[in-house]
Amino acid sequence: MSDVDLTHDAGLTLDGVSAAYRGVTVLQQLRLTVARGELLVVLGPSGAGKSTLLRVVAGLEPVTTGRVWIAGRDVTADRPGRRNVSMVFQSYALFPHLTVAENIAFGLVVRDVPKVAARERARTAAEQVGAAHLLGRRPGQLSGGERQRVALARALVREPDVFLLDEPLSNLDLALRVQMRAELRALHDRLGATMAHVTHDQTEALVLADRIAVLRDGRVEQVGTPDEIWHTPASRFVAGFVGSPAMNVLPGSGPIQPSGAPPAGMAGEREIGFRPEAVVLGEPDGAAATVDRVEVVGTDAYAYLTLRAGNPVVARVPAAHRPARGDAVRVGVHWADTHVFDATTGLRCAA
Amino acid sequence: MLAPYLVGLVGLVLLPAAVTLALAFTEYDLVNPPSWAGLANVSELVTDPVFRVALTNSLVFALVAVPLRVLLALGLALLLHRRSFGSRPARVAALLPTAVPEIAYGLLWLWLFNPLYGPINQLLRVGGENGLTMLGRTPPQWLTDPTDARAAIILMSVFTMGETFVVLLAARRALPADVYEVAALEDATGWDVFRRVTLPLMAPVLALLVVRDLIASLHFSFVPAFVVTDGGPPPYATTYLSLFIYRTGFEYLRYGYAAAATLVMMLLTVAAVVLQWRLFRRYRAFYRL
Repeated sequence: MSDVDLTHDAGLTLDGVSAAYRGVTVLQQLRLTVARGELLVVLGPSGAGKSTLLRVVAGLEPVTTGRVWIAGRDVTADRPGRRNVSMVFQSYALFPHLTVAENIAFGLVVRDVPKVAARERARTAAEQVGAAHLLGRRPGQLSGGERQRVALARALVREPDVFLLDEPLSNLDLALRVQMRAELRALHDRLGATMAHVTHDQTEALVLADRIAVLRDGRVEQVGTPDEIWHTPASRFVAGFVGSPAMNVLPGSGPIQPSGAPPAGMAGEREIGFRPEAVVLGEPDGAAATVDRVEVVGTDAYAYLTLRAGNPVVARVPAAHRPARGDAVRVGVHWADTHVFDATTGLRCAA
Repeated sequence: MLAPYLVGLVGLVLLPAAVTLALAFTEYDLVNPPSWAGLANVSELVTDPVFRVALTNSLVFALVAVPLRVLLALGLALLLHRRSFGSRPARVAALLPTAVPEIAYGLLWLWLFNPLYGPINQLLRVGGENGLTMLGRTPPQWLTDPTDARAAIILMSVFTMGETFVVLLAARRALPADVYEVAALEDATGWDVFRRVTLPLMAPVLALLVVRDLIASLHFSFVPAFVVTDGGPPPYATTYLSLFIYRTGFEYLRYGYAAAATLVMMLLTVAAVVLQWRLFRRYRAFYRL
């Protein structure tokens, strides 16, 4: 997993990077590569070290060990302004006293780009994110979505080697988030830029990413395409974090016996994981369970069950055929739909 | 709930102000009942050379001391807002002179300013010969030369900027960290950061502090001039409006005339408050978030 081949000529490479915050280790020997032109989404729960990862790349936090490479340059010792990275903050971090145009052009102006050229580039950048009509306004007069666009324009005006996006969509309401998500992806494809995007929203990660890096307690748990993350989660943690409701994970020995041919490598202490949509209700020789509660989400319904052995299981069923609370049901699952994890290490066994 | 405050406001502020306003148009020596004088006091003020000197002194004092105070406070606030080694005692040191009672503060400076054995001039004489400074010049005659005396009063007032310092310290700390991180990512230099980020973001607070200090400067020149220089060197080098009013009212017992001069001071204050108001409204529109 983490013994990927690192190339220092990628868009961004973290080579054995550790970082600490107030004496607590936040990143541990992190190895990660973002290819040039790739959109990598760093996904993980709060406190996993996602933001610290970005801040280390930006140079806002120091590394304790390891090297950071950007576009083939070792920037570990460089100050933030010398790394040629742009960052979009969750809070947008716009200058309240400057107009949108001045905000976007800030990085150019302090680098002594002539005024006329800076204004022209700011306009171009604003057009790319659909904020050209806002140029004369101040941040205080903008909505959240508009501020987000301005922050993006400010990030791309300088044509940096790497874009760092720190939960940029998390302050937007759902509809706007979905829209901005699509625009962000389109913008990335248009620019062909290297981007590292941090989020705790697994849907955002699955939709947006070329590849996803799942972070847990300062370590990379798995790196892969959204398909790989979804279909072959490398560990119990990834399986549980990606997907909503989370994947069911049960002891391999007991409460539920999948049908079909078991995969190889079922020896030893194992756990079986299967997503709610893989659960078959009404399987005649399935495990007995009772229905605790049912949530209807449009045409789907999620049935929260308890097996006779006491284990909870969530099943996704068509809303039209949903069981009622208190019903006794029989639950089955096919081996083909299961993921097998080692019970002690939590790592995936077999394919 | 408001009653105690209202009693105080009416009894201690509004009523005396109204009485002063009325007295400004009378002749009153605190012994005989006031007699109506019409605009006589006002026309006397216009031609009174002493009043003119006092007014000029007050305005010059305000125009020099207030920027100095605010600049020093801003400099210290920007220097000491971080939690770094030694910054805590330094902050306390910056604040301490403000905590000294005014009269004691004045007496202290009287000693500091002593031309012969005062520490300031002793320090200035280090490295020089025959009582001259290192550059071969006569050290300042703090309390006897008119210009040096005015400088002395300004110097005294500069060190009592503790309150301004604390406000600016808080204002600096309240600025968001992320805009500074953006500035760092754009490789803005210290001067650029100050000019393009810190100063504009603190401008509303600074403007209000300047106006507040302008108003206060009409008052805080009183004790130093009263205790340290006694309004001199003669005749009126450090006689400020406040001291002029005090002398006219309580020493020369011309209460009506003093009231008229107070009115001028009040008008200056009102002008400053109007300025403050307009600044405040402008910034509020500007920084709406």
